[in-house]
Parts: sequence; C-alpha cells; structure tokens
Amino acid sequence: MLNSFLHWLVNSPWSHWINAYEWIFPAIQSVHFIGFAVLIGSIAIVDLRLLGFGMRRQSPAELAADLKRWTLLGVAMMLCTGFLMFSTDAITYHNNPSFQFKMTCLMVALVFHFTIHRRAVRPGAGPVGAKLAAGASLLLWTTVLMAGRMIAFV
Amino acid sequence: MTEPTILEWIQNTWLSQAIREGGLPYPVIGGLHLLSIALFGGMLLFTDLRLLGWAMRDRKVSEVMLQLRPWKWLGFVVVTVTGILLMWSEPIRLYHSPSFWVKMVFFALVGLHALAFRPAVYRDPARLDSQITGQAKLAAALSMILWAGLIVCGRLIAFDASFDQ
Repeated sequence: MLNSFLHWLVNSPWSHWINAYEWIFPAIQSVHFIGFAVLIGSIAIVDLRLLGFGMRRQSPAELAADLKRWTLLGVAMMLCTGFLMFSTDAITYHNNPSFQFKMTCLMVALVFHFTIHRRAVRPGAGPVGAKLAAGASLLLWTTVLMAGRMIAFV
Repeated sequence: MTEPTILEWIQNTWLSQAIREGGLPYPVIGGLHLLSIALFGGMLLFTDLRLLGWAMRDRKVSEVMLQLRPWKWLGFVVVTVTGILLMWSEPIRLYHSPSFWVKMVFFALVGLHALAFRPAVYRDPARLDSQITGQAKLAAALSMILWAGLIVCGRLIAFDASFDQ
C-alpha cells in the first residue's frame, strides 16, 4: 500500500517534469530555503520576544498576530516544495534515517506550534511557561533544519 | 583549467582536511550555514517586508529595523564564518564552479547595496516612521533579490561544482 503510493509518486507527472531538467530540483530547493527563512524567521521573532531577547516594545501576542500569516505562508512553501522533492525519489527518502527523523520532528514541531506555542503567546500566559515554550520551539525547528541537512549525508 | 597554487595549499591544511574528511564536521557546518540563512534571512526578510509595507504594518519601521538588527548581524556573522569554513574545505572544487563565482558577484553587490543605501535608509530608521521613502522601498526590494540570488547560487554550487573535475 505505502510502497505503491511511493512508486506512484516517483512516476507522477511532476516527478518526471522535475527530473527532466537539471535546474528544476535546485530551483525548488532554493524556494525551500527561502521558505525556511519565512517560517523560522517569523517564529524566531516571536520566540526571541518570549525569551526577552528582542522586540521588547511589542507584546508577544501583538507580534504573533503580526506574523501569523507569514508563518502559515512559510509552512505552505516548505510543505509544497518538500513534497515535490520527496516525490522525485520517494523510496530513497522514505528509507533514509535522517529523513524519518526529520519528519518525526516536523510533526512534533507543527503540533507544538499550533497548540502549546499558540497558548504561550496569549496575553496572561505564565512567563516561565512561555519561555520554556519559546526555547522548545527554537530547539524543535533547529532540529528539523539540521536533520534536513543530514538527509544528504546519512 | 589549472588553479592558483594557494588553493592547493589551503586544501592541504589541517583544517581543510578535517572539515572535508572528518565525516560529521562538513554536514554540521553546512547545517549551521543553513540555520544562519534562516536567522539572517528571516530578520532581513521581515525588515524588508516592513519597509515595503507588507508585514508588521502596525509597528513603527524604526522599531522593527532596530530591534531585529542585532539578530540580523548575528546571523550574518555565523553565515559568513561557516561559509568561509565551507570554502576552506574545498577551494579547488569551488574555483571550478561557475555558480560559486556568480555567488561572489552577488556578495560584492551586497556590499555595494550597503554602501549605497546606508546614508539614506539604514543609518537613521526613525526618519522612515512618518513616511517610507521610495529609496527605502527600492533598498528593501533589492535586498531581497540579492539575498535570494545568494541562496540560489549557493544551492547551484552543489550541482555544478563537479563539472571540470
């Protein structure tokens, strides 16, 4: 079932299209990189504020409201470009330990972001809990990114 | 195509070999390079988006620019240091990579951009609080384009670096 899905992805029209031209894959990867500046940048601004390291003239809730749509745009960019790259060589990625680790961390990071983290930026959230949430958020996204880099090496 | 002998010297240094052949150092430095793209790029992007009036519009321009600036600089330092280490680890391969040279041109343009726009835009952001000048918007747009160019070239290095070997 999973295997046939992976094979279907590898043989999908978009995989053929990406594989047909040498420059498409690096172009998609570049958008993936720009996407994590949007995603991690927008989250880091809020997290650094929660930790008391910057943007102190705004409340975390104000910053989170400012940046929410950019975080969502970042998530969308990452998932779309990530899915396209995965499609081109789905079976290899599926068996890659770094990839598996990255996907696990990504799921945790996304769930964390839209549950605990969202609560931590609300006005009236406890400062200690908010700091812990910010630290955990930065750590999770850093791990996702570093694990992504390791895919090419493990 | 032969390369200057200094590149061979660099490639034979202990540090170059340690990064290239050590197993873990190369991906870790590469990972930190990417992480600082997120930090430097993220801070740069939101500064530029604020100048263009696309993000954080309820915040003063000067507050966004000045408060993100230390983190942007931290990101810039890490991205530059890790970039130099990556260059140090394989100078000969990079010497033969066209994308690497295009990236260096972009890097020079980043310097020119800073020189050209510092007096009117970056030195005194408070002046932009009442009205964002056309020059500031141009600076923001060019800054994003240059940064995206650096990323694309950086990525292409991995794909064309092996051509002339």
